[in-house]
Amino acid sequence: MEKGKGTRYIRYITTLIVLIILFVVLILLNIKSGSVNVSIKDIINILFHGSVNETNYNIIWKVRLPRMTASIILGGALALSGFLLQTFFNNPIAGPYVLGISSGSKMMVAIVMITVLSRYHSVSSAVLIAAAFAGAMLSMGFVLIISRRVQSVSMLIVCGVMIGYICSAVTDIMITFADDANIVNLHNWSLGSFSGTSWKDVGVMASVVLPTSLIVFLMSKPIGAYQLGESYAKNMGVNIKLFRIMLVLLSSFLCACVTAFAGPISFVGIAVPHLVKSFLKTSKPLIVTPICFLGGSVFCLGCDLIARTLFAPVELSVSTVSSIFGVPIVIYIMLKKRVQ
Amino acid sequence: MIKKRCISIAMVIMMTLPLFSGCSRSMEENGKNPENGWQQEGSMELKYAENFNVDYYKGGYSLISISDGSRYLIVPEDQDIPTNPGEDITILKQPISNIYLVATSAMCLFDALNSLDSISLSGTKAKDWYIENARAAMEAGDITYAGKYNIPDYELIMSSNCGLAIESTMINHTPEVKEKLKELGIPVLTDQSSYESHPLGRTEWIKLYGLLTGKESEAKQLFDEQAEYIDKLADQEKTDKTVAFFYISSSGNAIARKSGDYVTRMIELAGGNYIFDHLGNPESATSTVTLEMEEFYATAKDADFIIYNSTIDGELSSVEELIGKNSLLKDFKAVKNNNVWCTSKNMFQETTQFGLMISDIHRVLTDDDKDLTELNFMYKLPAADGESNGKR
Repeated sequence: MEKGKGTRYIRYITTLIVLIILFVVLILLNIKSGSVNVSIKDIINILFHGSVNETNYNIIWKVRLPRMTASIILGGALALSGFLLQTFFNNPIAGPYVLGISSGSKMMVAIVMITVLSRYHSVSSAVLIAAAFAGAMLSMGFVLIISRRVQSVSMLIVCGVMIGYICSAVTDIMITFADDANIVNLHNWSLGSFSGTSWKDVGVMASVVLPTSLIVFLMSKPIGAYQLGESYAKNMGVNIKLFRIMLVLLSSFLCACVTAFAGPISFVGIAVPHLVKSFLKTSKPLIVTPICFLGGSVFCLGCDLIARTLFAPVELSVSTVSSIFGVPIVIYIMLKKRVQ
Repeated sequence: MIKKRCISIAMVIMMTLPLFSGCSRSMEENGKNPENGWQQEGSMELKYAENFNVDYYKGGYSLISISDGSRYLIVPEDQDIPTNPGEDITILKQPISNIYLVATSAMCLFDALNSLDSISLSGTKAKDWYIENARAAMEAGDITYAGKYNIPDYELIMSSNCGLAIESTMINHTPEVKEKLKELGIPVLTDQSSYESHPLGRTEWIKLYGLLTGKESEAKQLFDEQAEYIDKLADQEKTDKTVAFFYISSSGNAIARKSGDYVTRMIELAGGNYIFDHLGNPESATSTVTLEMEEFYATAKDADFIIYNSTIDGELSSVEELIGKNSLLKDFKAVKNNNVWCTSKNMFQETTQFGLMISDIHRVLTDDDKDLTELNFMYKLPAADGESNGKR
């Protein structure tokens, strides 16, 4: 018994250490890699002494670092959001976008782009971010209303998918009346990217994601009880109705923030919680929650590094990279697990 | 129109006021009116352009005001930068070099001015330029591709000491890029020529780029050459010929130009009539209208001429290919009478040649020569039965 417990702890610590090493390595690579070659000596000077070449200073402080920080925060948010939904639906393929969040965001962005930009020539980025966030929360609001009437979780997934279809249909109607520029830009928005992130954006996303993630972590105990079944959680004193609302609300909040700032980024929310649980061989929220966040950050750091450097100056979308590199890994792990 | 002018006059007055106070020191040094600070010497003469204006001040300073509300003070190489020019004024000290050019329509203007050397970064890849000199400069490495308008390579742009980013109105869809470039200290000028309703208004933007590159007189001369084509046509009688200008999208819809758009104005200036009278919302900034085929068919089938817009969909080689996009098109009067023309793909990259383009359309409408199959910016599609002598 003690030996099993020890092995478990070793596994947790090993996973954590590996992720931390990957995290540090990817941070260093993200700071070092880019279209412009900045020497390690210069990077150290820029980071710790704030001196040397002004261009390189701006490249590191105003381009690479905010973008990297965004991928850390938003990657973690996506993974955590996925973990919450997989727990809630008790379904391994439930991801952050299953409740129609990306479709809701896209719909609102389409409305803003097509109606506002066709009348006024410009719009600020804050308006588009607010529109995407509002769209995500609108979809989630519908899901919450439905969740009060529907008891079955699988029915709730179906409702989420249906809401996604409605939002997509509204978007398509908007696109029908849109000109080429709007269609192209909407398509570009839906590809997802961390490009152009500023420290101001990082500040806003951090103020949403970090407190939300902390609340999720503090909810580890009721989440753990819920994993053992609704009736068990009820017996443990968990207010199921409130708990379900909280779960959907928190995951949607995290996912909405990602979509607002970086557009829809697929796959991370499904894959990372799955991978983390496979490595840890546990679903205990107290363990999985922080590691899931770290895993999401590592995954997005890696994907964004590839996305911006592989064909520079052309950038791939983060979703493209995360799917191409992530899918084979997940399939391999699933097959390996099955063989075992 | 009057309202618009009043607004622009008020805008210019309001914009100039802070300049008066902010630049007093510099102007005093340059010798002018100490009471007002700045001494205006005149304004740029503009015939068609409505989306920018330029005021000249003593000492060689020029203030560009653009319809999106942005203002740029061009400071001559030998003059000092004013100490307090006003928060909303972007300073551009001449010579302006290492330009990141994203607005494709502006490239031909720089090319015509022989100013490609002031551009070092492009938002379009070499293979996508139809302007030979631009393509050659990119292939030679004089101009580097620095990413699309929505995902520019900020690092490359910064390391190139970019003096100015010239964006198209597409940047309005991705405001975060514009904000980021400004944050990085790169001035951004959004080319609003696409909002000019008169085709020559677009060409007249060459005067603005002439000012930026210090080649104002060359710019004026090039513009006057194009304006001359219009002046010649102004004396000619209008034909009663109707023209449909459109393309068929991949989803099967007809994409036509909004009535009053600059392309429809080109048709009218050439002596023709655009087949759609009131197409699209005149208040809208969009230039195209998506039409369901039935609606398109009902009006456009009686058009005397079809000019197929190849920009998005690609060039066509025959009428058969056009009919292949929708069989309804074979019932069109223009198809039956073998009056189908297709634009060359470079048409929209040749802003300097709009006068010539209008004269091309005029020839299409008025020249009865059946052997006329190739013009400067369009060519006739060979008929389905091979009657036409189309060269392509």
